[in-house]
Amino acid sequence: MELLLHHLYLVSIFGYLLGAVISLGYLFVQKQNTGNMIVNAICVVASVAAAAASIGKIFTEVETLSIFSLQSAIPFITLEISIDNLSAFFVLALSILVFCVSIYSIGYISHYNGKRNIGLFNFLYVMFIISMFFVLTSANAVFFYISWEAMSLLSYFLVVFESEKEENQQAGTLYIVMTHLATACLLIGFMIIYHYTHSFDLTIAQNGAAIPEMARNIAFILFLVGFGTKAGVIPLHIWLPYAHPAAPSNVSALMSGIMIKTAIYGLIRFVLCYLGVQNTWWGIVILVLGMLSAVLGVAYALMEHNIKRLLAFHSVENIGIILIGLGVSYIAFAQNHLLIGGLALSAALLHTFNHTLFKGGLFLGAGAIQYAVHTKDIEKLGGLLKKMPVTGFMILCFSLAISAIVPFNGFISEWLTYQSLFANILPGQFGLNFFSAVAVAALALTGALAAACFVKLFGISFLGLPRSEQAANAQEVPKTMNIGMGILALICLGIGLFPLTILKLLDPVVGSLGGGSVFSQLQGGFMLVYYPLTVSPGIISPVALVLALAGIILFTLLVIRIVGGKYIEQKYGTWDCGFEALNARMQYSATGFSKPIKIVFRILFRPTRKITTEGDSFYYPESIEYATTVASIFEDYLYHPVIKRLQKFSQRTKYKIQTGSIHSYLIYIFAAVLLLMLYNRLA
Amino acid sequence: MKDCTPGRIGNEAMNSIAYIIIQLIVILLAAPLVGGLIKKVKALTQKRKGAPVLQMYFDLYKLLQKTSVVSEVSSWIYKAAPYIVFATALTAALLVPVSTKIVPVLIPGDFIMLVSILALGRFFMMAAALDTGSTFGGMGSSREAMISSLIEPSILVTLFTVGLLSGSTSLPRIMQTVQVTGFPLAHPVYMMVGLALLIIIIAETSRIPVDDPSTHLELTMVHEAMILEYSGRHLALLEYGAAVKQLVFITLFVNLFIPHDQLIPFMGFGAVILSLLLYLLKVVLMAVVIALIEVNTVKFKLFSIPNLAALSFILAFLGILQFFILGGYHV
Repeated sequence: MELLLHHLYLVSIFGYLLGAVISLGYLFVQKQNTGNMIVNAICVVASVAAAAASIGKIFTEVETLSIFSLQSAIPFITLEISIDNLSAFFVLALSILVFCVSIYSIGYISHYNGKRNIGLFNFLYVMFIISMFFVLTSANAVFFYISWEAMSLLSYFLVVFESEKEENQQAGTLYIVMTHLATACLLIGFMIIYHYTHSFDLTIAQNGAAIPEMARNIAFILFLVGFGTKAGVIPLHIWLPYAHPAAPSNVSALMSGIMIKTAIYGLIRFVLCYLGVQNTWWGIVILVLGMLSAVLGVAYALMEHNIKRLLAFHSVENIGIILIGLGVSYIAFAQNHLLIGGLALSAALLHTFNHTLFKGGLFLGAGAIQYAVHTKDIEKLGGLLKKMPVTGFMILCFSLAISAIVPFNGFISEWLTYQSLFANILPGQFGLNFFSAVAVAALALTGALAAACFVKLFGISFLGLPRSEQAANAQEVPKTMNIGMGILALICLGIGLFPLTILKLLDPVVGSLGGGSVFSQLQGGFMLVYYPLTVSPGIISPVALVLALAGIILFTLLVIRIVGGKYIEQKYGTWDCGFEALNARMQYSATGFSKPIKIVFRILFRPTRKITTEGDSFYYPESIEYATTVASIFEDYLYHPVIKRLQKFSQRTKYKIQTGSIHSYLIYIFAAVLLLMLYNRLA
Repeated sequence: MKDCTPGRIGNEAMNSIAYIIIQLIVILLAAPLVGGLIKKVKALTQKRKGAPVLQMYFDLYKLLQKTSVVSEVSSWIYKAAPYIVFATALTAALLVPVSTKIVPVLIPGDFIMLVSILALGRFFMMAAALDTGSTFGGMGSSREAMISSLIEPSILVTLFTVGLLSGSTSLPRIMQTVQVTGFPLAHPVYMMVGLALLIIIIAETSRIPVDDPSTHLELTMVHEAMILEYSGRHLALLEYGAAVKQLVFITLFVNLFIPHDQLIPFMGFGAVILSLLLYLLKVVLMAVVIALIEVNTVKFKLFSIPNLAALSFILAFLGILQFFILGGYHV
């Protein structure tokens, strides 16, 4: 069994490498469609192998499965891959997403044919997947660090792939700067760990006991900043809404779906497994950051009309929800409530998994819209459901899933998060209870705003009248794209209906991290309430719910048929309020839809508007221009002042320190050497 | 207290089936009545005679006979939404027991799911409003999005607090627990969250001062604007769904804060009947209270509603804080 899993993982890795080599081979070939098809097919096969191996790994008794270990001549650098339950769970999420995205890419990438070098794109794409695989499975900190850097750089290249657009270049620069600030934090964190343990080995759990309290706290903060930036935690999120829209949509799906989750993996791997959570405040910090990210993320998303930027802000929101679960689990672990910790950790991990599915799907959907209509602006869409019924239906499913609406998977993980907050309210800990209560409110606000936002996204782009000519002439996208999205939608529904299947998979993962078994609290079996969930006596059964809904709808149809007779329908135009004809400009726009919320939360958004009219008469202008802006608080009040100071500082040092005179440089070198010698003497 | 764990077929399963049937019949029959009662009380306070209490039944019957006019612009969402709205309201009703004298063993949901089911209905209603391309639909949808997102935190904190008082998120469990607390509204925690829930009822059922259910004026309408394009059986379903949802919230209030089953010392068929009668009495009282609130307030302008929602949220939050300090009856 172990040998089989071992080989399956190897097959997967070498499959991806083969894909990379083939796409390199197609670099200089004119007709690239076949190459694209082959590479994506290889990715599909490789991800099936990895997914099967991951599920197998979670159910085997072996704690860690060592895949390979290559000692290099350079000290510390060992290419070592080993997989434990936590890694396997994240690899599973990665492979499912890669599976669907690769099927989708067969159709999607074809529109680059002749315009772009698809061979180059596929090479970067496959290498990006491999780098993420290595991040999730590397067994020592140095190799982790190398893979992490590779992942960041490869994603940077993919962000700036359409490099002629200036916005992409700017997004890429911001991304690479933020990423490297984060990586610097990680590097210092690893060095602190090495200083005390003299080992870069990650497989030894709870090694952190050897590290003194103070250093451990510092390492925690460094990891939080480092991984938090990658995850897009507010206020470190600023790169995310620029970088995700810039990349091609299949890459955005991977970046938003799984790349930012590697940061969640890192937080669990380095903080929970390695350092070991002993302080309650670690959990509280994460919980508060989670609430902040969740509420602000969805609030900013509501104001966006660029479909991919909107989705990027929702990633910030969902990372917030994951962090709420993670925060509660850290609090519970620090207080030795293993069962609550396990519950909250399951909630966080399940939401991570779910978000991979529906956010990946939504970005693929955004790509499909872009493919058909050539715009990312919601205000130019409308009426697409009739032109693209399949894509529309998928986006509807994903929208319901991300808004935590039954019977989709988003609801299950949010339900577990609520339950863990509920369970974490214990007598005699007033301060913690207060945080839990606020978290409930934050989560509820987030859910409601997310629903509002996705009504906007779905309603404005797919319903009503088309708002532009391109939207009116849109056509359904190729089948492969729809199949890729469809599989994701099916898995979303499957987890929503049968949550126990995935929770059974999660139990060994959480168990290996020291949490109590959640699955033992859940029950199922009876026909009607098939797959119910029971935690802190609340029961839900999504299957029974769907049966009830379906039953009631059928019953209603029957009764109406009996009472009202045959259904007679008359087609007629929408009431146009007495004007001559209804047109698309009379409809509510996305701006109008979110305006009430913008006004209610004006403290946050600081909206401004500018109206310029042309023409002689004030009352009958020839044309009106209406522009509205929303302030981005963190950029205006946190980043820009810092950047300004830094620029001023560099200006000054340019003239005073970096004078260009070789004499003064020699003095600097002399002073530096002297200082180092002094330090060595004293230390 | 009976165990709520599923898994045993037998007497309890029979009980559950009986529960589902009784629950659905009571809700379906009583829901249109509440609206009629509210209208009647309002008319009487204004020295008018008003429409008959049963008017809504006649309206529904008539609407079912009529041809449905469907906009050319709309898609399948428009036609599916009424069924989904109605079915979600009725499913939500299954989660909120009208009487705790029969224990619903197999009811597959708790209050978190209740909120989510209602959100499903609302999602489709808001989407369908955008589907016809009419300005009114968009306006109603946008306003509904604002109101519902402000009210939802307060619903969940309210239900969370009463859940904490009985250590469960399952509504039947919570309702069984409050039976033994005497008069809950005398307890400061319950009082706070009770008031919060009262505001929630007003907002969620489109009543004055949040929304005006009786006019079609673009300045005031929210719910009516969303269903403006509907006609025939679609309209009937939407109206019926709204009535059922209103009764669900009223049931939530009266059974959580004015429990009555402790007054009936015996079990069995008679107890169920008596319990249902007492429940209906409470619903009538609640309808009168809502009518009086409507008569004595004026419609708020849209941007005053956040204040009301904030008041409701603060009450609910104070309730949960008081719970942390004082504890409930059962801690």
